[in-house]
Amino acid sequence: MAKKLAFLFLIFSLLLSCGAKIGWHTSTLLVFDTLCEIRAFCSPSAFRAAHEEMERVFSEIEINFSPQSEEYSSRMVIDLYRRAFQVHQDSEGCFDITVAPLSRLWGFQNKSYSVPTQDQIDSILEQIGMNKIKEDNGALVLLPGMKLDWGGIAKGCAIDLASRALIEMGISRGFINAGGDLYCWGKNPDGQDWNIGIQHPRSKGYLGILSITQLGAATTGDYQRFFIKDGARYHHVFDPRTGYPASGKQSVTVCGPETLLCDALSTALFVSKNPEIIMDKYPEYGAIIIDSEGDISFVGKAYPLSRVE
Amino acid sequence: MDRRKFFKTMLATPLLYPLILSTEKSGSNLELYIIADEPQLFLPTLLSEIQKYSSAERRVFGLLNSHPVEAAIKHALLKTGWSFTSISQSANLTLSFSHLRHKALPSFTLVRNERIHDIRSRRLLSLWRKMNGEHEPSSCLTIASLKRKPLSHASGEFVSIYRNGQKVETLPLTENIVRSYQTPRGRITARIENRKAWLTESSCRHEICLHSPPVSFPGQRIICAPNHFLLEIQRTRSVDTVIG
Repeated sequence: MAKKLAFLFLIFSLLLSCGAKIGWHTSTLLVFDTLCEIRAFCSPSAFRAAHEEMERVFSEIEINFSPQSEEYSSRMVIDLYRRAFQVHQDSEGCFDITVAPLSRLWGFQNKSYSVPTQDQIDSILEQIGMNKIKEDNGALVLLPGMKLDWGGIAKGCAIDLASRALIEMGISRGFINAGGDLYCWGKNPDGQDWNIGIQHPRSKGYLGILSITQLGAATTGDYQRFFIKDGARYHHVFDPRTGYPASGKQSVTVCGPETLLCDALSTALFVSKNPEIIMDKYPEYGAIIIDSEGDISFVGKAYPLSRVE
Repeated sequence: MDRRKFFKTMLATPLLYPLILSTEKSGSNLELYIIADEPQLFLPTLLSEIQKYSSAERRVFGLLNSHPVEAAIKHALLKTGWSFTSISQSANLTLSFSHLRHKALPSFTLVRNERIHDIRSRRLLSLWRKMNGEHEPSSCLTIASLKRKPLSHASGEFVSIYRNGQKVETLPLTENIVRSYQTPRGRITARIENRKAWLTESSCRHEICLHSPPVSFPGQRIICAPNHFLLEIQRTRSVDTVIG
């Protein structure tokens, strides 16, 4: 009798576990001051576990790479610094994580915007440049006054780490989208590649729709943080060589295997006057560039994009 | 009939209760379903009441298919300040008609953004009483759609299929496809041919959906309420998420 009961119990619990409904789940996290959207195809319990893992990954990144952080020796910081330095070199200095003092000078850190004088910019430029940073005994050594701004790469890195963790947990379909940075894998609810709308830099609609999977994408635009003074628009993407907001483009979207590189490359291309030279070094990546006239151009690998009229 | 019973009856109208479908916003925000053989008797009053809930500024109406009392409807609307256009895509009120296979008591329901909308107005309540009390069971359904903006002239590119408020799939309007779907009530078959989509089979009682004219312009839809089924034309592929 006891055996029979145990057998029935086993069948019952098996049925219960099979009954855990696999479906689409969505949740949001507030990270890096933006809303991060997660969508995944799995059971509710797997999604809860995924959500917790995301929180863990993002909080670790935030601790190491927040604007206030003075952590220059952790493994994570050194690793990401080296990745950033590679893009810095490949972009002839267009991508630079030492622009934090510029961002502060122009008032982007506390939203007290002002246009600085040329003298102020010149003196701040002495503190800018990744080539001024040295690595000593597994720690970064910065010159006095230097400060790191991980904004152009840390979010992409967090998305890569989190999406890899979710895939390892067995979640075969989903995406993570933190504002301008995304990674998507598997098929969308229609059983097709994910359709990622790219925000138009000047109007409410989309610029186009990328149909991709197993890929990351990131956008840098002059519309994300900016102020207008005397009719001129000043945004938060600085040219580290001049100390002024980079000119000539409204937005750059980069698509490719790693969100980290998409993130860094979108900033580098936004600043660079020669995007082709940079993209030649990253054959797996493609960029959609909107110039200051609103004209679109494509550089590097072509990914399926349907234009929205 | 007291107010509670009124709304209960409205919600219980067998054709309409499952219309609580969620879908992409397509520019259509108000839909009025009227069961009546002579909708022209009620349309002007209903429209004047519901226009408060619509941001549509123009008062131009068009017909999606012909109706036995078409002339009377046009006359009634023209008299109350509406103008007519033969190009239904440029109208902000479009009317379509379906014959019910089984007669039902005259009634109406307002669906706003895919949800049944409850307007607490005396005028509507007295109209409802009049329709229910003084008129014979009818076999005609009129669907009046008030659009926030006219339907796009541009041709649609995709057909999105929804079941129980969940998107099932998106099909290209450019290919010839026949696809069947299992629904809570049985089965529905949709056909796409020559850039138009329509239903060819449905297990519903009144088969209103089967009589709906083929759709091809962005925002146009075919709904089968009893099957909790919705087919909608889209201009572009709908997006899963947005970056930037």
